Amino acid sequence: MILLAWTALKVGFALSFGLGLAGLLGWVERKQSAVLQDRIGANRADIFGFRILGLFHPIADALKLISKEDFAASQVRQPFHALAPMISLGCCMLCLAALPFGANFQAWESPVGLVYVLALLGLGAHGVVMAGYASGSNYGLLGGLRGVAQMVAYEVCLAAILAGPMFLYGTLDLAQAVRAQAGLWGMFSQPLAFLLFLVAGMAASKRIPFDLPEGESEIVGYHVEYSGMKFGMFMMSDFIENIVVAGLGTALFLGGWQVPFVHLSGTMGEAAMVASFCAKTCALLFLLMQVRWTLPRLRFDQLLDLGWKNILPLALINFLATVWGVWLWR
Amino acid sequence: MTKKVTFTLDGKALEAREGQTVLEAATDAGIMIPHYCWHRSLGNPGNCRMCLVEVEGTPKPQVSCRLPAREGLVVKSLSPAAKRAQTSALELHLVDHPLDCPVCDQSGECGLQDYYMGIGRYVSVLREDKAHAKKRQVLGPHIVLDQERCILCTRCTRFVAQISKSHELGIFGRGHNEAVDLVPGRTLDNPYSGNLADICPVGALTDRDFRFQVRVWYLDETESICPGCSRGCPISAHTSTQRPWHNKGRRLARLKPRVLDWLCDEGRYGFSDFDSDRLGRLTAPLSEVRSALQTHRDDLAVVASGSLSNEDWKAFKSLFVDKLKVKRFLFTPEPDQVGSEDELLRRREKVPNLEGGRALGFGTEIKSLTWESLGQDIAGGRVRSLYVVDRDPAKVLGEKLLHKLELLIYQGPRMGKTGGLARYRLPATDWLEENGHFTNFQGKIQEYRQALKPLGDARPDWKIFADLEAGL
Amino acid sequence: MAMTVKTVSRPSRGLLEQIYIWEVVRGLGITFRHFFVNLTRHILALIGLPGKPGAATIQYPDVPAVLGARARTRHRLLRREDGAPRCTSCLLCETICPARCIRITAEESPDVMVEKRAKTFDIDLGMCVFCGHCVEACPVDAIRMDVDFVELASYSRADMILDMDELLKPS
Repeated sequence: MILLAWTALKVGFALSFGLGLAGLLGWVERKQSAVLQDRIGANRADIFGFRILGLFHPIADALKLISKEDFAASQVRQPFHALAPMISLGCCMLCLAALPFGANFQAWESPVGLVYVLALLGLGAHGVVMAGYASGSNYGLLGGLRGVAQMVAYEVCLAAILAGPMFLYGTLDLAQAVRAQAGLWGMFSQPLAFLLFLVAGMAASKRIPFDLPEGESEIVGYHVEYSGMKFGMFMMSDFIENIVVAGLGTALFLGGWQVPFVHLSGTMGEAAMVASFCAKTCALLFLLMQVRWTLPRLRFDQLLDLGWKNILPLALINFLATVWGVWLWR
Repeated sequence: MTKKVTFTLDGKALEAREGQTVLEAATDAGIMIPHYCWHRSLGNPGNCRMCLVEVEGTPKPQVSCRLPAREGLVVKSLSPAAKRAQTSALELHLVDHPLDCPVCDQSGECGLQDYYMGIGRYVSVLREDKAHAKKRQVLGPHIVLDQERCILCTRCTRFVAQISKSHELGIFGRGHNEAVDLVPGRTLDNPYSGNLADICPVGALTDRDFRFQVRVWYLDETESICPGCSRGCPISAHTSTQRPWHNKGRRLARLKPRVLDWLCDEGRYGFSDFDSDRLGRLTAPLSEVRSALQTHRDDLAVVASGSLSNEDWKAFKSLFVDKLKVKRFLFTPEPDQVGSEDELLRRREKVPNLEGGRALGFGTEIKSLTWESLGQDIAGGRVRSLYVVDRDPAKVLGEKLLHKLELLIYQGPRMGKTGGLARYRLPATDWLEENGHFTNFQGKIQEYRQALKPLGDARPDWKIFADLEAGL
Repeated sequence: MAMTVKTVSRPSRGLLEQIYIWEVVRGLGITFRHFFVNLTRHILALIGLPGKPGAATIQYPDVPAVLGARARTRHRLLRREDGAPRCTSCLLCETICPARCIRITAEESPDVMVEKRAKTFDIDLGMCVFCGHCVEACPVDAIRMDVDFVELASYSRADMILDMDELLKPS
């Protein structure tokens, strides 16, 4: 019974962390971009005159998306049209289960946690291509095809990049990987892998400068035929993908829940671990957002060149070098 | 055969008839020498002094409107001396001319404005106040006079003396007080009075009908033929369509003579209601009209109008004579379409193109009923259906008689009384909305061009005839 | 004036630019600097300390917008000393108007010396581009444009059309 409650707590925390942060990220994105562009940003939504820095905007957005008519154009292909956002969102949310928030605070302690996350991120591509196909619109289809090409390319890269650190840590279990970084964080022992991971992670989660599948302002994308909460689900899955990538980066390169020079134990220690993990994830998210507002979008051929011709060879070299280094060290 | 002489104007050799003036010869050759008082139909009093030119071998500038062309004469109209003389003459014209161009109706087509832009002095040395005189004096039904703007070129007084021969206007006073005015006890109401607004080179005589309606630079010009009588004067139709709020919303702003110098008032002012009372939409399909025509082909009479173009007449003949073999036609103008005539322009027949119909045999080989016999036929039941083209039998025969008809089809641009009674109304274009030809009483075939877009469902008459015929 | 030719060399891209990483770092440096400087300014303003504002935004309906000294806004028709509108309906403003937002119809004035006056005078501010040509074209100084009149907004296009009565009222 206690075990069940404990598991429910862990799952509940992982879910609410993902969903809550995803809602907040919309606000962060607006406000962060506004501040760095010398603007104020959305601040008009209010409840009884209280505006609290525009924090009501995500609520208003959510209310609008939920209450909007669930509209599907006549040319869409059912049931794929309805299924696609569910697949996208579901895959991302399942990834959250594997994130090691604390030493004993992981929703699903699995020996193959990393493979699980990578597999689910790869499955998410099905949602994108299905959305594009089910739209019955050429723009949507092209967006979906761009999306699947990009996501497949960068999942491969991601796996190749992470092969290095995982070889170093000697495990595929994310919690074990965190423990393996007790002496030295992954970003210092595997700097090239960390850099490549950031790039590939952004690309895999379709963030600007790699947002070619959707390209909301210029090139319409796979969710062009979606509105209301179905569109909202795509938006949320984007944000949760971000969180997953940031969480993965935290676990594999930023030492996970660990706080430098401090030994954490006990219940309070566990709470501090969770706080530390969340803080690192948020910091990484902040960096990803900053990059989004700094760099212009790549062209699609440049994007694929970057993935297949630059990141993948570099990742493989990094892997070989790691293997060689480990062999020499032993 | 008059003798030809050759003289030189601004280095260019020009040919002139012996006795022709330099100004006239230059105008014929397309060269403009500034002038106000000279008009090709009104003679050359030489009082405006604008046409001063330099003549080689003569110490002083000469007025070219009184200078006969001689063999070997060398004339310069653009030399500094000639320009100086013209500029001085223009300056003197402007001494008493009020500078109210923004208000003046003539601005945009004013002789003073035009020449001032070219040869004006641009610097005023005038210290005295301008002389004041009568403003906005209504001379007659069509013309209003502003004495202040008058430059005393006497074109108007010569017109009433030589052309209309009605002598309503004269020059009164001397020197500073000299002014054009009505002869006491007269009003300017001759049938050609509208021409005075045309020939006045400044804004002294303006058109009451056109005044303040629309500025001239908003007008479009189209070459047309006056449909007011069988003379068929060439006119230019000035239409205002760019800004529909002007000219009281009417599209036709004014008519001006083209080729000929004059236009009678009946023609000039006869069409200001061009857009009123128009048939809008086609109310029944043509197929219904066709079957009605077929049922009634034996008791049908056709009333056709003299405002049909030659093209319309041809299609008319093809439909009613060749196809339907109708026996009874009426081509005679309505009683109020027969008016007065004079030797200058106006003709008795106030419809433009009966002659075009006659050329196809209408009214000659194909006999026309009279209005009385048509009335008797309807009353006697011999005519039970009537096809009316742009005519108003209800006005002539009375509405009561037309109620006896089983079928009344009306085709034309305007509703009239008959249009209101008709079972089928076929909206047709009026002359300004179509291209076509009129044949005038002398047999001259003249083209008129489309100036306006058709209103509503209106289509050219020939097209309606042809469409009716095509489905029969 | 003789044509001068200035040769502009293309910016060359060295290895550092081609690798792109350093450029990304530089770009991030700029955006981070802006972010933290502005954030500091916002916080300073929030706790009531003096300093530059953190954003260039003008919160327009709450804070009145300030127009440039040479900005010209709503039109105004002027009156003569006797109170009649100065406009003689010469249509020069209507003619020069590049947006075709002025519609005037003329009529005879009862005053013979005035001769012509405007019967209706409409300006469609929804179409006006505020170029001021109408003011320049007017030969009798009948039309001017106000300064500092910002609230030119309405809920319908028809309400943006000002007729003569409204134009004669000082704003």
